Amino acid sequence: MNTMRYFFSETLKSLRRNQLLTIATLSTVTICILILGAAVLLTINAGKFINQLESDLEMMVFVEDSLDKNDLADLGRKIKQIPGIKSVQFISKDQALAKLQSKFDAKQYDLKKTVGDNPLPNSFKVKAKKPRDVPQIAKQIFKLEGVYKVNYGQGMVERLFHITRWVRIISIILIVLLAMGAVFLIATTIRLAIFSRRKEIYLMKLIGATDWFVRWPFFIEGILLGSMGALLAVILLALGYGTLVNNMQTTVFFIPLINNQKELLEIYLSLFGAGAVLGCLGTIISLNRFLDV
Amino acid sequence: MLVQFYNVSKVYSNGVKALNDISLKIDRGEFIFLMGPSGAGKSTLVKMLIREEVPTRGQIFVTSRSIVRMKRSEIPVLRRNIGMVFQDFKLLENKTVAENISFAMKVVGANSHDMRQRVTEVIAMVGLKGREDSFPNQLSGGEQQRIGIARALVNRPLLLIADEPTGNLDMDTSLEIMELLYDINRKGTTVIMATHARELVKNSYKRVIMLDAGTVYSDGSLGEVSI
Repeated sequence: MNTMRYFFSETLKSLRRNQLLTIATLSTVTICILILGAAVLLTINAGKFINQLESDLEMMVFVEDSLDKNDLADLGRKIKQIPGIKSVQFISKDQALAKLQSKFDAKQYDLKKTVGDNPLPNSFKVKAKKPRDVPQIAKQIFKLEGVYKVNYGQGMVERLFHITRWVRIISIILIVLLAMGAVFLIATTIRLAIFSRRKEIYLMKLIGATDWFVRWPFFIEGILLGSMGALLAVILLALGYGTLVNNMQTTVFFIPLINNQKELLEIYLSLFGAGAVLGCLGTIISLNRFLDV
Repeated sequence: MLVQFYNVSKVYSNGVKALNDISLKIDRGEFIFLMGPSGAGKSTLVKMLIREEVPTRGQIFVTSRSIVRMKRSEIPVLRRNIGMVFQDFKLLENKTVAENISFAMKVVGANSHDMRQRVTEVIAMVGLKGREDSFPNQLSGGEQQRIGIARALVNRPLLLIADEPTGNLDMDTSLEIMELLYDINRKGTTVIMATHARELVKNSYKRVIMLDAGTVYSDGSLGEVSI
């Protein structure tokens, strides 16, 4: 108990004694976590947008006109049996025409009269469980008897996946780099704080202090600075993001931004935790060199 | 036997040979002067005693325990049995006299009651009664060294190592510090004092170990060795 009180009082004394350094570390952590948090929010939102784009993917399976009712039912079953299929919906020639007709104004333009016999084929609207499986499933469906064409935006879809994969990779690299940068900056500022007390550390070691006895006040300092800085950053981020969401929902409503309070709270808490961890890591990196007495 | 050195050599990574095949025995209760010119190996020897350096070859025992093979986690225990006094005092300027001394007890996890009692005791012992709340820079060099000695004594060490403790002090103050160290020795603490000051050693009638170029040049009490 006595020792714990000593650790905390040493931490507070050090923070007070090195006020300038404390402010420097605090603002470094705040800026780092703010950038990191912005990158995380951007990545999560981009991910959500990508997921939505991907989940909209569907295949249109057009079938030959020669297939009768039984053949169609049979084909529908066969498609359903392919692994990875989420849903299969039959669209008859008439439904297809009606849908097409609905795109025109009926009074101005009667499709049925114009084209005579309905030229549209029967079709199935198929969705895959995993959007990434669409091209491969489309190939399997195409091999089934009675199918004459499978449409899923060939070429476009592959390009979309290519882009989304890179967006994901780049955002992960960006977050890792930012986190590393934050650790480095925090480590440097904490190293300055430790450097100003190296005489005391040397003395403590010579008197017979254990490594942990020396470490604890610095750890508490690192964790405190890390989490306080993160708290500031989270407050700024929450304010900024809240304003952004409010503005974007009215102007660019088609981009889905996460606005679920629970989800956001989790992100903010993680960032707060990340601040403490970064502070801790920074201390570990900086301190060990001075303990080697 | 408190300290034993067996064929200890030390070569630093930059190739400097600091100690060369040194063997020594130090009994409990002895007062030893460690002398020799700069670079003779005094500092290396002292650093080895507190396990700040390890020998390249040879063995060192303190209270029959090898400190060469000692694990890192055991070093603090060794150091708690050794009090160190430095030439430059190594006091914490922002702490008072009492805080500088109790700092050494805090580091080893003593409780506050014991701490208060023992600090009062050692402050009286080194003659600093009434100066408890002063800061080091408000005191003279001699008084600052007394704080250093009190700090080294506060944990009741078996061995007190004083590395040039009078190096920064005038003659009169040095003699006062010497009296204090003799007094500590009379009360049972083994003292090893590294020094350049021949005049302090001359009339001491204590054991003198002379080092030269990393070897023991002579070892004996005054009269047996020339200094």
